[in-house]
Amino acid sequence: MDMTLDSKKDTLMDYIMKNCLWQFNSRAWDRELQNENIIKKATQLLCHESPEKSTPADRCYWAEAKQLVDEWQCFPWLSKMTATDTKCMMGKLKNDLDSQLITNSLNEELNDPNY
Amino acid sequence: MPYHEFECSKCIPERIKHAVDKTPAENLSDALPLGYLNTIPGTLSERGCAYCGAKHVIGTPMKDVIHLSHGPIGCTYDTWQTKRYISDNDNFQLKYTFASDMKEKHIVFGAEKVLKDNIIEAFKAFPHIKRMSIYQTCASALIGDDIKAVAQEVMEEMPDVDIFICNSPGFAGPSQSGGHHKINIAWVNDKVGQVEPKITSDYVINYVGEYNIQGDQEVMQDYFKRMGIQVLSTFTGNGSYDDLRAMHRAHLNVLECARSAEYICNELRKRYGIPRMDIDGCGFGPLASSLRKIGLFFGIEDRAEAIIEEETKRWKPELDWYAARLQGKKVCLWPGGSKLWHWAHVIHEEMGLEVVSVYTKFGHQGDMEKGISRCEAGALAIDDPNELEGLEAMYKLKPDLIITGKRPGEVAKKIRVPYLNAHAYHNGPYKGFEGWVRFARDIYNAVYSPIHKLAFVDISKDAISTDKNFVTRQMLSDKDIDPAVVNSKELHEYTGEFDSIKKLRNKEYPKFPQKGKLTAV
Repeated sequence: MDMTLDSKKDTLMDYIMKNCLWQFNSRAWDRELQNENIIKKATQLLCHESPEKSTPADRCYWAEAKQLVDEWQCFPWLSKMTATDTKCMMGKLKNDLDSQLITNSLNEELNDPNY
Repeated sequence: MPYHEFECSKCIPERIKHAVDKTPAENLSDALPLGYLNTIPGTLSERGCAYCGAKHVIGTPMKDVIHLSHGPIGCTYDTWQTKRYISDNDNFQLKYTFASDMKEKHIVFGAEKVLKDNIIEAFKAFPHIKRMSIYQTCASALIGDDIKAVAQEVMEEMPDVDIFICNSPGFAGPSQSGGHHKINIAWVNDKVGQVEPKITSDYVINYVGEYNIQGDQEVMQDYFKRMGIQVLSTFTGNGSYDDLRAMHRAHLNVLECARSAEYICNELRKRYGIPRMDIDGCGFGPLASSLRKIGLFFGIEDRAEAIIEEETKRWKPELDWYAARLQGKKVCLWPGGSKLWHWAHVIHEEMGLEVVSVYTKFGHQGDMEKGISRCEAGALAIDDPNELEGLEAMYKLKPDLIITGKRPGEVAKKIRVPYLNAHAYHNGPYKGFEGWVRFARDIYNAVYSPIHKLAFVDISKDAISTDKNFVTRQMLSDKDIDPAVVNSKELHEYTGEFDSIKKLRNKEYPKFPQKGKLTAV
């Protein structure tokens, strides 16, 4: 049975939650930055675009994204998707990350004003 | 994910929000254990204090430093050899421990004079050591001794010494984690930026949140050096005081234990623009992924790849020997903080173990988010369990092994459950490719030790045969597995040396010429 866009997105979400650490930084604003930048760069890589990596921060986001996309080669359906579908799926993936780890998170330390 | 109510804690209703059963259909926004809260009166916690977190976890692994507690001698007791953070300078920080030995008269009349005398005496006793950390305790905090002023006086009288003050008395937080925070911030405020290091590579990192338990830091440093990366400092295992004053000059902070050291990474990122990259040093897959990420950051991924290929070829057949014999064994993964998420997924994927419970003693909710995400559905996640909850969980879950600290470990042994030391290790190091095999070997030895079978015999009523029942671990482990695996010529037991660190200490590394100063790496 063909996978839907949502089921593909869920597969990638499960992969990130199990194998990555970058999405778990300790403050909400920090998680927003991580999700925004790493998912954006991963999307660009999947769509054969060139992500920005001229600053140390950008290069760090890019290294996380590149490693993730390289590991996602275990999902052969990913390379067969159109750029439009990929962007749509990755947008949903970012929304899920933000929802589970920021906006609907039960972690009471996320909005601590200090580190 | 429903909250889990322990029978033994029904009389402490606040406890229900500290444990969760992981279910397949729900996620972290449905239930998450509370964490990093004051221990509830009536529950018997197994946590350490904030002084312990600052000194014993983070401060003392610094190797070229006199570590002095300003307080009663009892506060210092735990320092000696209870945690195996070794170093390559003959373990100075493990061999010697110092206290100002405060007594009741000092509580009444003050202890600043006795502190000053102690500082000078310690420096004179070890004239080759010029650096000192002084740790406030509950006693010296309550009487208000001005430790910083005393240290300043000594530094003026002895200009070749430098002293760091850590104000983290035992009561300064719910657990040792409060002390982690305090010493991180104190170090970045008071010491970072004071020393300009010699830069010898185009690729410079701080290795942060790594404490060199039985040599972990030296294993990882070996990989970094083989990649041509300069490890400017390690915070703090096998780390040097003056190297850690130069942390501001690194290009990247590579963070291992986010629970104990993310604070300093975050501050270095904000103050000096050094990015933070979180890694896993345990498990073949996660470690390979981590080395690749670091390689990508610096543009030297080919060097990472060469190490991964060489190490995997050397050690994978040995890991697989143990993995074939550990399939389906049930484990409670009950460490203090970060290891619950460093290990939860990879001991399942690479050794076939079933993690039936994760717990953390001093972790925050962020640690539980990671741990619950990484373990399989069905696992019981517990924050800061008391002893009775630990017992109830073990009776219910019937694990084959507990991976935990020595205090709860001894409790487990009393009910005949084998335990492995997650904090100081049994036969570490456990990081690195070889280390992961050593961990698998320790798990195998614990699960299949014949002594645990004998321990169930009740000598007051069971008949004891003395002429049979000879068993070995391998007789127990091999009886139910595929003969093809048993007879495999490729898979074999660990063949490394007893001391896997010694060979790294005088090792020669390839020289990579510097290309020049890189602004954005």
